[in-house]
Amino acid sequence: MNRINPLYVGLLLSIVIIFLVFKLSGAKSDLQEAKEAYVKTSKIAINLSGLKSAYADKKKLKASLRRILALSAIRQANISKDEKKSSVKLSCASMDKKTLNMLMGKLLNASYNITSMKIKRLSKERVSFKMEIKW
Amino acid sequence: MNFNSKRQTIFLDPNVEGSFELKPKEKVNVILSPSLYWVQKVSLPVKYVRDVKKLLPSLFEDILPQGNYSYSAYKSDDDFYIFAYEDKIILDTLAKQGLNVVSVAKVYFAQSELGNITQSKRVSKNESLFVKDSLLTMVPSAWVESSQNLDLQDITLSKNSITLQQFGHIVDNKSLYKIAAIMLIISLLLLSEYIITSKKVDEILQAKEGLFSKYKLKSTMFQNEAMFKKYNFIHTKQMNLRQVMAAFLALRLSTGENISIIELKSGRLNVVFSGIVKGKESRIKKTLQAKRIIFKDSFKSGSWHVEVTL
Repeated sequence: MNRINPLYVGLLLSIVIIFLVFKLSGAKSDLQEAKEAYVKTSKIAINLSGLKSAYADKKKLKASLRRILALSAIRQANISKDEKKSSVKLSCASMDKKTLNMLMGKLLNASYNITSMKIKRLSKERVSFKMEIKW
Repeated sequence: MNFNSKRQTIFLDPNVEGSFELKPKEKVNVILSPSLYWVQKVSLPVKYVRDVKKLLPSLFEDILPQGNYSYSAYKSDDDFYIFAYEDKIILDTLAKQGLNVVSVAKVYFAQSELGNITQSKRVSKNESLFVKDSLLTMVPSAWVESSQNLDLQDITLSKNSITLQQFGHIVDNKSLYKIAAIMLIISLLLLSEYIITSKKVDEILQAKEGLFSKYKLKSTMFQNEAMFKKYNFIHTKQMNLRQVMAAFLALRLSTGENISIIELKSGRLNVVFSGIVKGKESRIKKTLQAKRIIFKDSFKSGSWHVEVTL
């Protein structure tokens, strides 16, 4: 009677199947979590990369601001620029409304982080202008 | 462990009351009474026992009563002794005699072990073993003369043992193999699925690592999420500023009405209108409300102040 009891073989195979089902269920759950984490990371990575490029790329922002201020119509308004490590302050005691329209159009259409601003009407044609941009 | 100990051999017969006292873990050899099997001595045109085994069910086909039989055979000179037996009946007899299957080492037919006795042997008061035409049979003791008691102490057992099928009466071997094969296939499928899933998890984790280097992310997701929150907040505020500014600059003001100050400070946009008579600002209010801009307003020193929190 040295033959292995078939019940033991069945029991062993059943235990193996239960163990594998348990492991597979864990692996499936890990896969689901990994997929969700990947989608989340991917979403954050793409958005963060875009946002950083828009608001924190100091080099790019400085260059684009320099280009705006160098435009002949804006340059003649003598806008003073006070550049600091993490921000730049633009100010002009008096400029005509046409220049203001052009300047504001350029600044608002670009992705500058405007933290403070003051535009005051001086007369029908002229305004004073102050703005702080951070990066 | 005593390797020299000789196993006890017992004679199993359904009509003989057994009183076996076994030590724990002790195993015994069992010799089956002719009452527990069917035997034939046949001469067949085959050489090997394995060839005979294939023919056994058909050789017993017309002889055996209805039942679930197992078959066995061994060769003696030019003849074959062929056997048919019901495992369940033998197992039941073992249980009836107080013997556990686990305690049984090997099982033999009386034919193979006692088939060469010259005198009849008494196994109980009423039954004796008797050889006729080379076949060992069980006969009433009254039929034979001068019977000796059966003594198994010095018997030398042959190699013709059988293995009892404990589940033969429930499922046959083929079905057991099929069930085992199916379970094995299921195990293999599950294992391969597990390996594939684990591999996928590794691939996704690697791809995730790739995102970190591709987009130059910080080492932890906590830092990245905090940075994303910060820049998203800036972006939302800036988009609001541009929307609100566009709404104010698109207002149609009457003659004499104008915007005298636009000021952004601490996340609030203040717009000061001059030349607006109190009560006439409702037209502008409606326009701003239509654009879903939430604001506070007040009149101070003849000017209308509108404050929008971005």
